[in-house]
Formats: sequence, C-alpha cells, structure tokens
Amino acid sequence: MKRETAWRVFAGEYNESNRVIRGEGKKPSYVITPLGAKVNRLFIVGVLTDVEPLTEGNDFIRAHVSDPTGIYTLYSGQFQPEVTSTLLNSDIPSFVALVGKCRIFEPEEGVVYVSVRPEAVYQVDGDARDRWILETCKSTMERIEALREAKKLSQPNAHDLRKLGYSRALSEGVIEAVKYYKEIDLDKYISMVEEALRYLVPEEAEIKEEEGTQEVSDEIENLVLGIIKELEGEEGALWDSIVEKCVQAGLDKSTAEEAIAALLDKGLVYEPVLGTIKTT
Amino acid sequence: MGEDISTYIEDIISNIGDETKREALEKEFKKFIEFGVPPDYAKRILLGKFAKDKKRKKLLELKGKESSVNLLCKVITINEKEITARGKSKKILYGLIGDESGVLPFTSWNTSISLEKGEVIEVKNAYAREWQGGVQVNFGERTVIEKVDEDRLPEISLEPKKCKIADLHNVFGPIEITVKVLDVSKKEVEVDGERREVFSGIVGDDTGKAQYTAWHDFNLKEGEIIKISGGYARSWKGIPQIVFDERCKVEKVDRDIEVCSRKLPIHKLVEMRGGIDVMVEGTVIEIKSGSGYIERCPDCNRPTINGECKVHGKVNGIPDLRIKMVVDDGSAGIGVIVGRELTERLINKSIDECRQMGRDKVMEILEKNLLTKRVLLKGNAIGDDFGTTLIAKEIEVLDVDLKGEALNLLQRLEEI
Repeated sequence: MKRETAWRVFAGEYNESNRVIRGEGKKPSYVITPLGAKVNRLFIVGVLTDVEPLTEGNDFIRAHVSDPTGIYTLYSGQFQPEVTSTLLNSDIPSFVALVGKCRIFEPEEGVVYVSVRPEAVYQVDGDARDRWILETCKSTMERIEALREAKKLSQPNAHDLRKLGYSRALSEGVIEAVKYYKEIDLDKYISMVEEALRYLVPEEAEIKEEEGTQEVSDEIENLVLGIIKELEGEEGALWDSIVEKCVQAGLDKSTAEEAIAALLDKGLVYEPVLGTIKTT
Repeated sequence: MGEDISTYIEDIISNIGDETKREALEKEFKKFIEFGVPPDYAKRILLGKFAKDKKRKKLLELKGKESSVNLLCKVITINEKEITARGKSKKILYGLIGDESGVLPFTSWNTSISLEKGEVIEVKNAYAREWQGGVQVNFGERTVIEKVDEDRLPEISLEPKKCKIADLHNVFGPIEITVKVLDVSKKEVEVDGERREVFSGIVGDDTGKAQYTAWHDFNLKEGEIIKISGGYARSWKGIPQIVFDERCKVEKVDRDIEVCSRKLPIHKLVEMRGGIDVMVEGTVIEIKSGSGYIERCPDCNRPTINGECKVHGKVNGIPDLRIKMVVDDGSAGIGVIVGRELTERLINKSIDECRQMGRDKVMEILEKNLLTKRVLLKGNAIGDDFGTTLIAKEIEVLDVDLKGEALNLLQRLEEI
C-alpha cells in the first residue's frame, strides 16, 4: 500500500466536491474536486475557529479551520485521541497545521458532503499559514492549467495529460472532473487564487496599482494636452484626430480617450462643439 | 439520443483503431438500441465483435489502457515465475516481446499458453496496462496465441534505443547511452563455476546518475565519457542500472558532459521508485516518532526502548541521532531519513547536548526547525511496496520568499 499524497486544496474548492470514487476491498476511496484533485489525504494550514464536543465524554468533536477561501469541517473521535485532545486544548483562534483523510458523507445518491478526519495536528505560526497559501495557490493553478489542457484534447484522456508532465493521480482526477463536472467555472477558481495571493501581498499590490496609474496618467495627460495644442488651431481639435495622433505616439485608444476625459474633468480642455476639443 | 450513440461509437472506433468500420458499427449499434438493449451493454458486445478482426497494433503504439489488442511479435526472452493468486499457486510466464517498432515486457497469466524464445506469434485479445511507469502487455484468459511463420515479421527492432539516465526506468530492450564514468571498481565473481571479472560503479549524465555493471574489461577509466550501444537497463529498488558485456559496443567520446541531478517533482521520483543522488523539494508534513535522540543496541544496532533491546535485553545503548520524516510537495510524498551528522548540523546541537536535553526536548527542537518548512534534499532513494524512501546526503531548510513568489504567481495567473 503506497503512501497517499497530501494534496493542497483550498476549502473553497474541496467543499464544492461531489464526486467520489469508492474504493473496493482494500483500495482507498477518493474525492474528485471540481479542478480534478484526486484526494484521499490533505495537508491544511489555517485558523482554528471553533471546537465543539459532540459527545459528553469529549471523545468525538467537530472543529472548523478557515483559509482565505472558506472553511474546512473536521471531525475527530476516539481513534485519534491525541488529535482530539490537541484540538480541545488549542487556543481559539490559533494557527494549526494538519494532515488528514477525506471524510465522505453521502446521505443519498449524488449528494455528497466532504469533511476531514485529521491524523495529526500541530500548532504553527502565521508564516506557516502563508507558506501553505502560496503552495496551495501553486497547486490550484497547476490544476486549472491541467484542466485547460485536458479540454484542448479531442478526446480527453489521462495518458496524453501525463505526457505533458502531470502526475498520474492528477491526470486521472482531471479527466474524471471533465467528465463529471460538466460546467466548471474556471474564472471562479482563478479569482479565488488571485484573492488568496493578494492576501499575501496586500500592500504591494495596492501601492503598485495606485502609484502606477497616478504616475502614468500625469505623464499621459501632458502628452495628450500637447497633442491637442498642436492640432487645435482656431476651431479646436477633432476628437478622432486627437486619438489617432495619440495612437501614433504609442498610446492605446482607450488610454487616450481616458486622458482626454480626465483633461475635460480638470477643466484644462473643453468641448465647444460636440466631438471637438479646445484648450482653455 | 443520437448524440448519446455517437460517444459510444467514438469509444469503440478509438479502441479498435479502424475508421473504415464506422458505418457497419453504427448500423449494428442502432439495431441493438432499437431492441432496447442498454447502450453500455451494446458497446461491450460490439467491441468484442469488432475487436476480433481489427488491425494489429505495433507495440510502441500501445498506451497502457487497451482492453483488447492484436499483435504480431517475436518472443525475445522468456522466464517462468510461480505466484500465489487467491490462495492457489500458479505458474506464469514473463519476458520481453518485440516487433518492428520496439520491445515491451509481457506477462502471460493464462496457464494454457506456452511460449518459446525466438518464436514469432500472432496474438489476439491481449491487453495492455501501465506498470511501474511503463506499458506492459498481458495475455489473459481470453487471449489467443498462434505460432506463425517467422517470415511474417520481417524484422524486429533491436536497434538500441537512445536514452538518458532519467529514461532508464522506462525502457526495455537494448539501449544506447552516453555517460561519464564516475568511478570504477573491479571484482571477481563465480558464474556457473567459472571465475569472471566484473567491473562496476557509477556513471552519470545531465539527467542523473546510475549504477553500471560491465561483464567485460572495456578498460574504463574514471572521468571518461563513453557511448554504450546495446546495453540493457535494469533497476534494483528503483535505482537505475546499466548492464553491458562484450557483445556491446563501447566507444570513448571526445567531449565532456556535465553530470548533474535535476530537481524532480516528487511524483516523478515515486514513479521512478528510486535513484542515485536525486534532488527533491517539498514540505515536511510529519516527523515520525522514533526521531531524535535514540540509543542503539551494541550487538544488533536496533533502537532500545527504556534501555532494553528487543532481542538482547538490558544493554548499554550507543547514542545516535536521526530524523525520520515525511516530505510531500502536493504531487506525492516520500519518507526521508536524516542521519546523525546532518541532524547535528541542522539543529546546531551535538549528540552529547542532545543526550543532556532529553528526548522530548530534542523532538521539540526538530519540530520547531522542520515541521511545515520547505526543504531541499539530495540523496539516494529506494522504492519498495510502501513507497519511496530517500536517505539524505544533504538537507537545507529553505527560506521562502513569500512576496516574491506570490507576485510571480499573480503574473502567471494573468496568463492562464
């Protein structure tokens, strides 16, 4: 029996899974996530948000761990006494890392609830959580790419996916996902990854955006203003000619139009006749 | 409904690989549906029917998923093995078969089949499976084998296949490989009562390292680059080996090659099962109990429990320090063993300091230093039924540049 891979899957993806491959005999069962992870075991780092005993003797508990995309539900019982007591004795909230097995509840055909049965739980710090977010983003992106590749194949099959370098488990999982989840909203998962990454670089991403637009638009506005002055003469410059000149100067059309609008807002130019711009 | 049928037809056509049968197949399939036969069952029946006289496949066209293929091939090697299946022991045959496209391993589970080396055979209804990263042909209960005239298969490809060390776990039949000799040692062994010289050691190329055994004195010297044509690849617990003898051509090559180990994704290493001086990167997700400070029995080297050896009773244990952990990169996981010296350096504590601190404290330090951290590892890896274990020669805990990597990923995200 080979060791099962500890997949990195965000709660937002894991909880959406409703495809299960049941193991027969000694074969393990797998949860197929919408992006094609074929999961039997998970590695998770997140924030422990609550622990709730389900029995009087505290030997069966439910807990929740949150990541930037959602919340994992954990169940731990008398067969993992160490895990159960670690969870019960943890601060709330606190960072925890855990390795756990998929827990599958299928009350009726086609209805699947997935949760996690931890095998080991550790107290960690925020850095560990951030490293995990990064890894999980990387894994999720790999699955998105694999899914795209699979859809490009005339007949999606695991063999051709593996030739592209994806692991056997991922290739098989992706093919199963393509078959089972007819409409996968990839954009949703792309934004999920993006949000998680922004979480790691909040200030830089924002600063870069603000500074970037501010600086560039000052420069562009001056350039556009110069062009208008060049063209206007007595009558003013035609909107289309300005834009054309701007494009020749290396701007793209929408930026040029935005810049003209900004100049209008600032009162540096006005529109004496519709479609004609003149400096004030 | 029409749409539904077409996916079944597509499946069957791709399985039998014969487009010309489409029309006949569609006609028969529709008839089954009209009679109310479930399409899955109709597919099975028609697949069986159409597969019987389908075109033969060449060995290297096989993907490892075919449930019914016809072949024409020559038996290159054949061996017998006794296995126990469902409590009964039975004899199975295995070996190599070849055709004009190349060579593949096969196993015959069908005890009524008898084969001899050198025979050319026509095979109907064999199946192909993936096995240890390669394709294997299987002869089962439904497989029919007929011995045919040798002229039917004009030539089999025993042309050595060009490969690199990273491919060795996945090639069968003769190979051509250019490698640098990293060391040579000579020993004498007795084979069938005859004393023979055998040369062995390590060779490498830009994809990794392998062991070699040469049954002939090619006057190999450390540091030389050689091209071996006609050697064979073997593997011991996943460690690649190249075997060659006087029937092979060994030429010295007058250019240098750089020997290096590429960093492998862990799933790739697990698929290869093992390797020499491999490099992997992953996250420590578990430190096994029994790691840290231990004492070993002076007689048998087993770790003692409370000063007692399981076999030799109360002993004066010899101190040792080691780490047994699981490293997983999200694509697969491996066991990793770190020995005493590396562990001392890693936690910056000598074994004496560790003994004074006590086991619990040492374990605490190990967990603090390693758990959930990203590590770069180099060492030899061996594979068995439980997976792959790497014995570390080097270990480095990596500083993760969170912001830098996150910004990189954000950029890549825009492109996908």
